[in-house]
Amino acid sequence: MIWEVFRQDKPGAYHKHCGNVHAPDRELALQFAAVQHGRRMKTHSLWVVPHDEIGEIDADETSFGGTTDKTYRWATSYTDIEPAAPEVAESEAEQADVEKSLEADS
Amino acid sequence: MDLETVKERAGPRQFAPKDDMPEEYRKAATRMIQFHANSEVMGGYLEKPFIRQAPSIDRKLAFSAKVQDEIGHAQLLYRAAESLGVKTRDEMLDELARGDGKFLNCFHYPMESWHEVPMIAFFVDGAAMHRQATLKNTSWTPYAHAMDKVCFEEGFHVKHGESMLSELMNGSKATQEKTQAAFETWWPRIIQFFGPTNDKSVHNDFAQEVGLKTKSNDELRDTFLDTYVPKAEKYGLVVPEYPRIEYDEELDTYHVNEDDLNWDEFWTIAKNASEGSHEQINSRAQAQEAVEWVRESMHGWEGASGAGTPQAAD
Repeated sequence: MIWEVFRQDKPGAYHKHCGNVHAPDRELALQFAAVQHGRRMKTHSLWVVPHDEIGEIDADETSFGGTTDKTYRWATSYTDIEPAAPEVAESEAEQADVEKSLEADS
Repeated sequence: MDLETVKERAGPRQFAPKDDMPEEYRKAATRMIQFHANSEVMGGYLEKPFIRQAPSIDRKLAFSAKVQDEIGHAQLLYRAAESLGVKTRDEMLDELARGDGKFLNCFHYPMESWHEVPMIAFFVDGAAMHRQATLKNTSWTPYAHAMDKVCFEEGFHVKHGESMLSELMNGSKATQEKTQAAFETWWPRIIQFFGPTNDKSVHNDFAQEVGLKTKSNDELRDTFLDTYVPKAEKYGLVVPEYPRIEYDEELDTYHVNEDDLNWDEFWTIAKNASEGSHEQINSRAQAQEAVEWVRESMHGWEGASGAGTPQAAD
């Protein structure tokens, strides 16, 4: 049985997928995950999930976010408005980073 | 974990579902996150009818996207609240429909014209975002993670809300006057968004001691005023004489004179007992009932397909 492994490097961070292990049950999956994926990388916590329990949909099957122009959803589109507060500017900067990564891939 | 340890360890993203948290913490966090989730729902429902009244296709697209986001935020927050193990999402939604669930003061008032929309979409959202940015550092990790996504999206809401306000305040004189009138109506409610002063707040101390909140009501209200009073003035809105807003030169911050605000109204609303409360809660309850068949259908499906029953690990 295959178990997918998610590692969290420090308290409060997100568990991120880092690989998978063979194991007959959850207890051993946790042990193998600790040895294989928590040995060198900084680790605070690991999750293991049976591979068969994971659902997947990919870009061949669906167009994520749709195909129509959705620029109106982005803070960066409202160019005549200065961000009202630091937290608004921070949100806009996060959105700009995502937009850049989308452009780089297309 | 005992309460003393919680207070010692309290800090940004310090506690997670795996930790054995004392009941006091779990109850306080549930109350706070449930209130937040309910407010996202009620805000979304208050704004929804105005999608149809948007004056242009661009506004309609953006505003419907925003309402969709708010309902999405409610979903994230109910999940974060559920992770405390005190109440299920169904219980919280039922409480909201019954009128027992509490939510933000601003969403207890009816909204009648498009001129009022930026009062919510710019000022209330701006106030919400100001508070939410500090909640990225809450001690309950699932709540902080919800805030990461909420704050990512809110930048669009606040800028779009400001864009609406800017458009109205650059419109005809009549439009500007109606917008000013809406501002005067909403301004005291917007200030009350941050709740009562620290000395009158019931839950403030405990929430701060265990790291659920990182800033007090007063700190948030003052820094909100510092940013948004100049913004209102920039668009030609005149800040009403009452409640008196005073600039404190020594601390370089604005203060509101609390006694000028209607706290009887605030506490009536806090009990869901105003006329507007009943209207908003009932219209939301009707909407929930109208789509009961969707939930029923999904529950039936869940049982039939075996989803939710984990397969044996063999």
